[in-house]
Amino acid sequence: MAQRLKPVDVVTIGVGLTGSLAALELAKTGLKVVGLERGAPRFTVPDFQSPAIHDELRFSIRKAMMQDNVKVPVTFRNNSDETALPIRRWESFLPGQGLGGAFVHWNGQSFRFQVADFIYKTHIEQRYGKTFLNACGPELTIQDWGVTYDELEPHFDRFEYLLGVCGKAGNIKGQIQPGGNPFEAPRAREYPNPPMKETYFGALFRKGVEQLGYHPYPQPSANLSRPYRNPEGLDLQQCVFCGFCERYACEHFAKASPQTVILPALLNRPNYELRTNCEVLRINLDSTRKKATGVTYVDGSGAEYEQPAELVLITAFPLNNVRMLLLSGIGEPYDPKTGTGVVGRNYTYQTTGGATVFMDESINVNPFMSSGAPGTMIDDFSGDNFDHSQLGFIGGQYIGSIMTNGRPIEFHPTPPGTPKWGLEWKRAVARHYNHTILVQQHGTSTASRLNYLDLDPSYKDAWGQPVLRMTFDFPENDIRMSQYVADKVVEIGRAMGGKIVVRGGTKRPYTTTQYQSTHNAGGAIMGSDPKTSVVNRYQQCWDVPNVFSLGASAFPQNGTYNYSVTIGALTYWALDAIKNKYLKAPGPLVQA
Amino acid sequence: MMLARPLHAAAAGIMAIALGLAWNASAQMLGDTRKHDSKRGAVIAAQGTAAGAPACAECHAFNGTSDGSGAFPRIAGQSAYYLAKQMHDFTSNVRVSAVMSPIAKALTPDDIADAAAYYAGVNAPFLPLRNSDPALIKRGEELAKVGSASDAIQACDNCHGPGGAGESPAIPYLAGQYAPYIVFELQMWQRGFRKSSPEAMAAVAKRLNDQEIAAVAAYYQQVPGSAKAKTSD
Repeated sequence: MAQRLKPVDVVTIGVGLTGSLAALELAKTGLKVVGLERGAPRFTVPDFQSPAIHDELRFSIRKAMMQDNVKVPVTFRNNSDETALPIRRWESFLPGQGLGGAFVHWNGQSFRFQVADFIYKTHIEQRYGKTFLNACGPELTIQDWGVTYDELEPHFDRFEYLLGVCGKAGNIKGQIQPGGNPFEAPRAREYPNPPMKETYFGALFRKGVEQLGYHPYPQPSANLSRPYRNPEGLDLQQCVFCGFCERYACEHFAKASPQTVILPALLNRPNYELRTNCEVLRINLDSTRKKATGVTYVDGSGAEYEQPAELVLITAFPLNNVRMLLLSGIGEPYDPKTGTGVVGRNYTYQTTGGATVFMDESINVNPFMSSGAPGTMIDDFSGDNFDHSQLGFIGGQYIGSIMTNGRPIEFHPTPPGTPKWGLEWKRAVARHYNHTILVQQHGTSTASRLNYLDLDPSYKDAWGQPVLRMTFDFPENDIRMSQYVADKVVEIGRAMGGKIVVRGGTKRPYTTTQYQSTHNAGGAIMGSDPKTSVVNRYQQCWDVPNVFSLGASAFPQNGTYNYSVTIGALTYWALDAIKNKYLKAPGPLVQA
Repeated sequence: MMLARPLHAAAAGIMAIALGLAWNASAQMLGDTRKHDSKRGAVIAAQGTAAGAPACAECHAFNGTSDGSGAFPRIAGQSAYYLAKQMHDFTSNVRVSAVMSPIAKALTPDDIADAAAYYAGVNAPFLPLRNSDPALIKRGEELAKVGSASDAIQACDNCHGPGGAGESPAIPYLAGQYAPYIVFELQMWQRGFRKSSPEAMAAVAKRLNDQEIAAVAAYYQQVPGSAKAKTSD
């Protein structure tokens, strides 16, 4: 029997990016906030210090910072005719676990989504006509977000200044800025910090794409180019290009994460309480099922508690937000046969890939000297930046030379035809290790009625609850798009001086055994109509107004870019509505 | 080859900037095809130069252990790149010292390279020194290996290597370095007199208080074994 605890004002389920950010905003208003984190507490000092933090086997290969999938796995299948099986080893995507969540082991690649992304369906119909989308794929179910870029701009701005993002503006209030990305959405002001120094591989990429007439710009980075104090009064230091960013925590206070830019301002507040090693089982609803009364969770000793709360924020990894809604019976689960229901619908991912460019031996790339966001890149083929009318697909990808590391276990490029082991393999690795450049593609994932999340009928977690089941494959639209961009990447690789250029691009079937992206999105999407969305434009549940589901689970489909900064902006946007509207008059912020 | 050479030079320059350290000297060194002459360096160390630079050994001893007072750093076995970089910094006033600045200015780039190569190759013993208070050393070890959560200071060893063995070529060893010298240099950074590594060491030094500085200095001075012994295993 669960022990009933003293009621609090707000509970967050998960203490990562959205959980810590939301807690800080609400704790500042004086509310009593409790953060429930299923993982362990951890801090830059002492937990992230070297040499232990640079253990490639432990963190990159054995995924020490990731969700414990012995206790809570995700099952996967490519389509609804297959039987889903548990993913026992994270490879394709890496959900974080522990204080700070995936925002600890992220790379710091810090983009804003574009204007058209937020009005995607409207935009595509206006530019290409009403029948174009159906021609690209009758299964595609793209939607508008219910919020516009202009509404989010101040929140993007605020979030970038919280992180100290380093970059060069390409468009300030409509004025194109030299050196920046001319395709970016207009921003109110320059980035808080100048871009990172350009790497050698970035300089070669720049030279290549300039020959081809494209528009290179420095990748915006939340690994810092100089020391910075953020508006919360917290200090970041300058990145030292150690080459251990993604899959690792930063030992140097140089990467924006909850530990560096949020938590120190939150944890010392007397009205905030962090409880780690606490697994939330469900959100409890009252008899009307229209109001949440709090959450039930199990602590590290196995004791069960009921924590009553006025406001419940689901702030877990996107996949876990969706699972929490399903476990709690909030919203109607999506039924792919009829197309009705909403929870689990429009699960999307990210299309990735890219070319491997083998250079002359005189080109010393030194990939080990790198940061998580060291790229030089172009947006000429991102989103809807190019004319799709004759192409038969929607969407696009950015192209960039973004080599985040040259770590010994993970990075040993060899050209096609090289044996997979033995002396010849070793010779090829020695020849190519320091003379190979990766050019990446990274882009949109189009929602399809065939792709969705639901509860697995067979597999249970360590607490006896159904695990999440993922049904996903890339729509043909996305394959056509990615293969189109792959051709451009090959041209770029040759222009860079590549002796051998190995073509990439996204392929079917989607596999969970190869790393692609941790930008899992959708499943609890936002919108203007409760029939096609789980949450309204403020990420408030249509069915239970005192529950908000924050984060990328709200994306109706995924845009071109790495999504963390857009999550941050959406979170500030939702918190602004909670503070200024909801708390004054609790109830639905949008009438259905 | 005609194409490859200039590209190679560009590589050195751009990657050096990417490391985020003041690395101008590195690009010069990498572009420099002259082989460093450590025998000539030994002569400079012992006798100084005809142009008027005094012998390095006058303060640093011929084996680079200096005199143990801590007024002069131990330079034996320190990386040649680092030693030469410091000399160029004294020449350009990035580092300022009433003693070292005029000496550095009296040396040619070849003199500097040769003397640095000589001292980098010396494997000198550690002088017996009186240890500090064990509690102070323990506090210093904590800062060196773990850092400080309350002051948001990362472990010194992150960059200076396990046990302060150094991360050659750019980052000097601290193991066995004299405590008064470490204290003095951290204070120079705090007060803005030492302008090398402004983005890393100045920021760290400003976070340390006097007690913490005394502690890390006391710890590193007594780390047993030489930097070489640490890195070779």
